[in-house]
Amino acid sequence: MEISSLFKKEVVSDGGKLMAKQRRFAYTSLTPILLYMGLFTLFPILFAVVMGFFSYSPIRDGTGFLDLGGANPFVGIKNYIELFTGTGKPAEVFRLAVKNTFLFTALVLPLNLVITLPLAVILESVGERFKTLFRAIYFLPTISSSVAVVIIWEYMYAPGWGLLSLMFKAIGLVPPKSWLSDPSMVYFGIPLAMICVVVAHVWQDFGYNLVIFVAALQSIPRTLREAARVDGANVWQEFWLVVVPLLRRTVLLTSVLTVISSLQVFVIFQLLSRGGPQNQTQTMVLSIYENAFRFANNLGLASAMSMILFIIILILTVTQFRILRTEWEY
Amino acid sequence: MNTEKQRKNPFWLLGKSGAYAVLLLGLVATLLPFFYILVSSLKTNAELRQTPPDFFSKEPSLQNYTTILSDERIPIERNVMNSVIVSLSRVAITLFTSSFAGYIFAKYHFKGKNLAFGVILIQIMIPFQVVMIPNYLLIVRFGLIDSLWALIIPSMVDAYGIFMMKQFIESMPGELMDAARIDGASEFGIYSRIILPQMGPPLASLGIFTFMATWNDYLWPLIVLTTPEKRTIPLLLVWFQTQHTSNQGLILAASILTLLPIFLVYIFLQRWIVDQATQSAFK
Repeated sequence: MEISSLFKKEVVSDGGKLMAKQRRFAYTSLTPILLYMGLFTLFPILFAVVMGFFSYSPIRDGTGFLDLGGANPFVGIKNYIELFTGTGKPAEVFRLAVKNTFLFTALVLPLNLVITLPLAVILESVGERFKTLFRAIYFLPTISSSVAVVIIWEYMYAPGWGLLSLMFKAIGLVPPKSWLSDPSMVYFGIPLAMICVVVAHVWQDFGYNLVIFVAALQSIPRTLREAARVDGANVWQEFWLVVVPLLRRTVLLTSVLTVISSLQVFVIFQLLSRGGPQNQTQTMVLSIYENAFRFANNLGLASAMSMILFIIILILTVTQFRILRTEWEY
Repeated sequence: MNTEKQRKNPFWLLGKSGAYAVLLLGLVATLLPFFYILVSSLKTNAELRQTPPDFFSKEPSLQNYTTILSDERIPIERNVMNSVIVSLSRVAITLFTSSFAGYIFAKYHFKGKNLAFGVILIQIMIPFQVVMIPNYLLIVRFGLIDSLWALIIPSMVDAYGIFMMKQFIESMPGELMDAARIDGASEFGIYSRIILPQMGPPLASLGIFTFMATWNDYLWPLIVLTTPEKRTIPLLLVWFQTQHTSNQGLILAASILTLLPIFLVYIFLQRWIVDQATQSAFK
C-alpha cells in the first residue's frame, strides 16, 4: 500500500523564496527527530551487531570506544560458532530455545486462524448491534496486561483447585497432576507446558486477528456477493468462490504478522511457565533476556542471539512488505 | 436483506441459531477466566484452599482488596502515580512528534524526504529485543537507570504514529494552508492552528493505544527499574506474584485492580481502540 510510495520518485518543486522557506522549515524540524532516531534506533542496531563480535560484559571495564576492547575483547564470530555448535550451557539451551520458539509459532498460527476465521465470518453475518458487542468483548483479553493474563492462567492451570482441573473432572477425565511443571507430560512430541502456554497466548491474542478479519470481510463490496447470488450460487459457494479468494491477501498478511509477534512473546514464558520444566518452554527471547540481564551479564552472546532472531524476523518483514506492495483492487 | 422464503427455510434457521451458539461459546471462553478470578478474589484464604472448591464464595468479602490497599509496606500509590506519569508523558510526546513529523512528511517537498522517511520506518522492522541491550547501555551511560526518565526518553518517537498521521494529513486539502500562508501564518502556525485542530479522531486513537501499551509495558521497565518506589503497575503485580505465593487471594485481587482501570477506559473508548488495532495491521 503506502509503503510502496517509498520506491516512487520524489517530485522536488523548485524556485521561489516561499519554497526555500518551506524547505528550510522542513529540514530544521526533521533534524532533531532524525538525530533522535539515529541515537535510539540506528546506533543501537549497529552497536548490537558490533557487540555480537565481542565478549562483552558491562561489569568489566573495557578500554576502547564504549568499553569495546581490553577486558571486553573482540572475538570474531566465536559467539556465533558457540551458539551453533558449542557445548556451553547457554548455547545448548539456546538451540533448544530456537526449536521451542518455532514449535510455539507453528502451534499458535493454525490454532489462531482456526478460531478467528470462522468466528469472523459468523460475526460478520449477524446484526450490527450484536457484532459490535461481541467484537468488543472478544477484544478484552488483548488490552489486558500480560502480567494479569499470566496470573489468570496460572490460576486456571492450578493443580487441584484450578478451573481446568475441575472441568476435566466434571467430564470424567483425570486431570494432569501438574499442568506446568511435569516434564514427563508430552503429547505427540509436544510438552504439556508448551500446550498450556499456547492456549493462554491464543486466548490473549486472538482478538487482534478477529477484528482485522471482520474489517476485511466488511470491505468486500456487497455487490460482488449479490452478483454471485443472482448467478445462482448458494451460501457455501458464495463463501468459497467469492469471499475466500478476496480474503487471501489479508489472511496471508495477518499470518506473517502473527508469526512475527509469536517469535517475540516474552511475559507468558517468563512468568507462567518460567521456561520450564527442564527448558521445555525456553524461548529465544527468554534466552536473550536471561543471558543479558539475569544470570550471565553476557551481552556479547546475548547480542549474537538477538541477531539470529533479527535475521529471522527481517526475512518475514520483507515478505510482509512484498505482500503489501502487491496491487489489490476489488 | 433476508427474504421470506429464507426465513421459513428450517436450514436457514438452524444456521442462524448455530451462528449465535458459536458466538456465545466464544463469549464464555473469553469471559470465564476473567470471571473466575473475579469471584475467587472475593473468597477467604480458607475457601481458596478447599478442594474441590466452590465456584462462588459462601461469604464473599472485599478483605483481599482492603488488605492490599491498606498495606503500608507496599508503595501502591507511588506505583500507580509512576504508571500514570509515564503513560501520560509518553502519550503527550508521541502525539506531538507523530503529528508534527507526519505533517512535514505529508505537506512538504524537499530532497532526501523518502530517505528520511525510510530511516524512521526502520524502527518498525527492528525487534525490540535487538535494541533493548544497547539502549540499556545508553540509559546506564546517561545516568538514567532506575528513574522514570528511562521509560520515557527512549520512546519519544513512534514510527507507526508518524506513518499513520502522515496518511491522515495527506488526505487533508491544501487550500486552507495556502490561505493561511497568504495571511502571514508561520509554517509552525499552520501546523498548530490549521492542521492540529482537524486531527481529533486519529490523535485520539493513537493516544489511547499508546496509553494502553505503556500502562501494560513490562520487559523494558523490568530491565531499567530496580527499587520498589520506582516500579510501575505490572512490576508491582509481578512482585505480588512472587511474594505472596501462599496467599492466592491477594494476587487475584491485585490483578483485578490492575485490569480495572484499563477496562474502564475501554468501555468508553472501545470503538477507537478496535479501529486503531485494525488500522495498525495495514500500515
